[in-house]
Amino acid sequence: MRICTFKKAALLSLFLVLAFSGISFGQNISVTATVDKNSLTLEDSLQLSIVINRTKNTPPPQLPSLTDFKVASAGTSSSTQYINTQRSVSITYKYRLTPMNTGAIVIGPAKVQINGKNYSTQAITVEVQKASSSTTNTNKAAFVEASLSSKKAYLGEQLVYTFRLFHRVEAKNLNLQLPFDKSWFSKEELGEPKTYIKVVNGLQYHVQELSIALFPLKNGLVEVPSAIIELDLYHRAQGRNGLDPFNQIFRDPFFGRGVQPEHKVLRSQPLSVVVLPLPVRAPKGFKNLIGQFKITAELGKRDLEVGDTTTLTVTVSGRGNVRDISFDEPDLKNLFKIYPDKPEFKQTVHDNQIRGEKVFKFALVPLEAGSRTLPEFSLPYFDSKSAQYRIAKTNPIFLYIKPSSAKENLNFVQSRQQDKLMTKPEIETLGTDILPIYTELDKLQSDSSHSLIFMGAGFGSPVVLFIISAFLMKRQNRMKYDVPFYRRRNAYKNASQRLKQMQEHSDSKEFARELSEILREYVGDKLNLQGKAITAEEVQVRLKESNYASLQAEETRKLLEKCETLQYAPMTQGSTKQLLGESENLIKVLEKQS
Amino acid sequence: MKHSNIISFLLFILLTLATTLPAGASDYLNDIVRANTLYAEKRYAESIQVYESLIHEGASNGYLHYNLGNAYIRMGKTGPAILNYIHAQEWIPRDENLAANLKFAIQQTQDKIEPPPLGTLNILFFWVNDFNINELVYFAIIMNLVFWVTLTLWMNFPFLKVARNAFLGVLLLSFVSIGVKIINESNLKLGVVLAENVDVKSGRAVDAITLFQLHEGALVTVTDRHDDWLEVRLNDEQKGWVPQKSLGT
Repeated sequence: MRICTFKKAALLSLFLVLAFSGISFGQNISVTATVDKNSLTLEDSLQLSIVINRTKNTPPPQLPSLTDFKVASAGTSSSTQYINTQRSVSITYKYRLTPMNTGAIVIGPAKVQINGKNYSTQAITVEVQKASSSTTNTNKAAFVEASLSSKKAYLGEQLVYTFRLFHRVEAKNLNLQLPFDKSWFSKEELGEPKTYIKVVNGLQYHVQELSIALFPLKNGLVEVPSAIIELDLYHRAQGRNGLDPFNQIFRDPFFGRGVQPEHKVLRSQPLSVVVLPLPVRAPKGFKNLIGQFKITAELGKRDLEVGDTTTLTVTVSGRGNVRDISFDEPDLKNLFKIYPDKPEFKQTVHDNQIRGEKVFKFALVPLEAGSRTLPEFSLPYFDSKSAQYRIAKTNPIFLYIKPSSAKENLNFVQSRQQDKLMTKPEIETLGTDILPIYTELDKLQSDSSHSLIFMGAGFGSPVVLFIISAFLMKRQNRMKYDVPFYRRRNAYKNASQRLKQMQEHSDSKEFARELSEILREYVGDKLNLQGKAITAEEVQVRLKESNYASLQAEETRKLLEKCETLQYAPMTQGSTKQLLGESENLIKVLEKQS
Repeated sequence: MKHSNIISFLLFILLTLATTLPAGASDYLNDIVRANTLYAEKRYAESIQVYESLIHEGASNGYLHYNLGNAYIRMGKTGPAILNYIHAQEWIPRDENLAANLKFAIQQTQDKIEPPPLGTLNILFFWVNDFNINELVYFAIIMNLVFWVTLTLWMNFPFLKVARNAFLGVLLLSFVSIGVKIINESNLKLGVVLAENVDVKSGRAVDAITLFQLHEGALVTVTDRHDDWLEVRLNDEQKGWVPQKSLGT
C-alpha cells in the first residue's frame, strides 16, 4: 500500500512540474543578440551570439546581410536552469565575424520564427579600426610581412613573392590566402614552407615562410594585393601559483585551462611592381626565355663505325623557366639516324630563385663513313640582369666515322632514303606449278601392310625368347644350388662316360667291381643316395619307392648281384662285353623312366 | 647348341618375313618405270592407266599415289589428284613435296577447302600424324624387343629397373599411338568430290532439298554411309548427303 501511495505522489509531482514548464515554454520567449566586443581592429574578429530564451526547438536564426564581415559559424550551445522550481531553457547560436572594412559597421537584426511568430534581435554597431601601428610590429604576439624580390621586372622574368608569419605564441588552424590576379601573373610553387626562429627587436619569434615564384604576364604597374592569414593564437595565462605542480599540469593546452585562444586575421601590406616590356629586336629563335643560362654538349663515344650508336647529351642549366626549354632534333642531313630521348628535368630552389637543369639526349647512329661535324646548339635568352639579349651556344663537335667492319645490312638504322636503296628486292612470283614425280625405284616399292604372321612374330618372338631365357637362367641357378637336382641331371651323363671308359679294362674282377660301382652311383645320383654304400636289395626297394618299374628294379638288383659274384669268379672277354651292354641298356631304360 | 638353334631359327623367320618381296616384284617395278617414262613424255593419260592398274592390282605406296596425283593434275583433274594426294599422305605424311602439291591442287579448286583441323586426340598425340601406320608398328616392334631384352637382363642386373620401366612406358605409348592412328583412319574418313558439281542434299533422295553445292576437288569429311549415299560434313553446320559415285574416298 505504501508503495502505491508513493508512486501516485511521484506521478502527480511530475505532472505538476511538466504543467508549469509547459506554461513557461509558451510564455516570454525572447531573442537577443550580443557581441563580445564592439570595438576592434581589422586583425581581430568578434563573436556574435544570438540567444533564444525559453525554448530549445527553434530553427537557426536568419542573419542579416553582413557584407563587411566574413562570417563563420562558431557552434551552438544550450542550457537549462532551475531557479526556485522555475525551469529556464535557452539556446545560443554563435558566429565569428571577421571585419573586412574599417569604420562603424552596423550588424542588423537577426530574425527567427518560433511557433509561427517572428522574433528579431536588436541592431548592434561596432567600430572597426585599422590595425594599430601596423608599420611597426613592436611587442605583437603575431604579425605578417610580405616582400617581392624586386620592384621592377621584365615581362616573364621570375619574381619571388615571400610571405612570412611571425608568432610568439602558439598558432594553430592557419588558413592562408595569397590573392593575385591570374591575368597578370603566372605562379609556381617554390617548395614547402620553411620554419625558423628569428629575433625581432630583442623578441624571439617563430617564423613560417612561404615563397612562390611569380612570372609577370603583362606590362605596367601591378599591385600584388594583401595576403590574408586567419589563425588561432593560444595565449597562456600568467598564473601566480607558478610553483604549484598541479597548476602546471592543468595549464597544459591539452586540458584547456590556462590557455586563452584568440582568433586573428592578419593582412600583409599590398605590394606593387613595375613590369617592363622586353626590348625589341629579339634574336632569331627567341622563345621568351628570361634569366641566365648555360648550355653544354657532349658526345658519349667518339670512336665510331657506321652502324655504331653514340649519345649526344645537351645540358641546359641556369636561373629562370628552364622547364619550358625545348630543342628540335639536330639537322644532320641524313648522315645520322637520330633517336631523341625524353628530356630529364631537375629543378632546385636556391636563395628563393628557381634554378633548373634540363638534359636532352639524342642517340645517333652514323649512316656513312667520313669526317663529320655535329652542329652547335644555340639558346637565345634575355638576361634580365644586364637587360640584354644573349645567345648561349655549344661548341661544334668533330668526329670521324669509320666504315663498318660488319658486312650485314644495318636495316634497323637505315633512313627512309637508305631503305629505298638497300631494301632486299622482293622476288616476284611468275607462276606456280606442282613438284615433280618420284622416280627412285626403292621409294616406289610396294608397301604391303604387315601380315598377322609378321606382327605376331615381331611381338611374340621376344616374349618366347624371354620365356626361354628365363627358364634357362632358372635352371642354371638350380644347378648351382640344388645338389639332388644337379646329381639327377648329370647321373646318366656321368654313367655313360664311365661305361665308355670300361671298354679298355682287361681285369675281369676290376671290371665287375667298377661296373657295380657305376650302377650303384647312377642309382644313388638319381635317388639322391650315397651310391657306394647301398646294397643290391636296397637298390631294388628304393627304385620301386621312386616309381620305377618293378621289372627294371629287379633287373638292376640282379645285375648288381651278378657283378658282385663276378668279382670272385673270372670272366671271358665276351661275357664282359655282354655285361657292359646289359648295363648300358638298363641305364637307358631307367633314364627314360626318370 | 640346342637353344642357340632355336634362337637362330626364330631370327631367320623374322628376317625372312621382314624382307620378303611381294610376288611379281620385277613386273611391278617395270610397270613403275614405264608409267614414269610415259609421264616424262607427257603422255599423262597413259601413265595414269599404268599407275591405276598397279594400284588396282593391290600395290600400295605413297609415292605411287603421289605420282598418280601429279598425272591427274597435269590432266586438269583436280578431284582425283587431291584424292590420290590424300591417299599418299597415309603413307608418306612427312613428305614436303606432297604437302606442296596438295596445297597447289586445293588452290586450283573452286571451293578451296582445306583439310579439316586436327581433333583433340590428334593434338594430344601430335606425333601420330607424322608417321604412317607401318612406321608406328615397326617402332612398336623394336620397342617390344628392347623391352623384353631389358626385362631379361634386369633379372640378372637389378639396376636396370629404371630402364625396364622406361621402355615399358614407351612400349605402351607406342601401342596407344597405333590405336590412335587406327581410330583416325577409320573415323576421319576424308572424301573428295570427283564430279564437276555435286548437290549436297538434305536426305538420301534425288528430289531432296539441295542444301549447298560442291565442286570438283572439294574436301569433305564422310560421316555416314547408307546404300549408295554418303553423309558428308564441311563443318558443324553444313552437312548433307551426296551420291556415293560423286565422291572419292
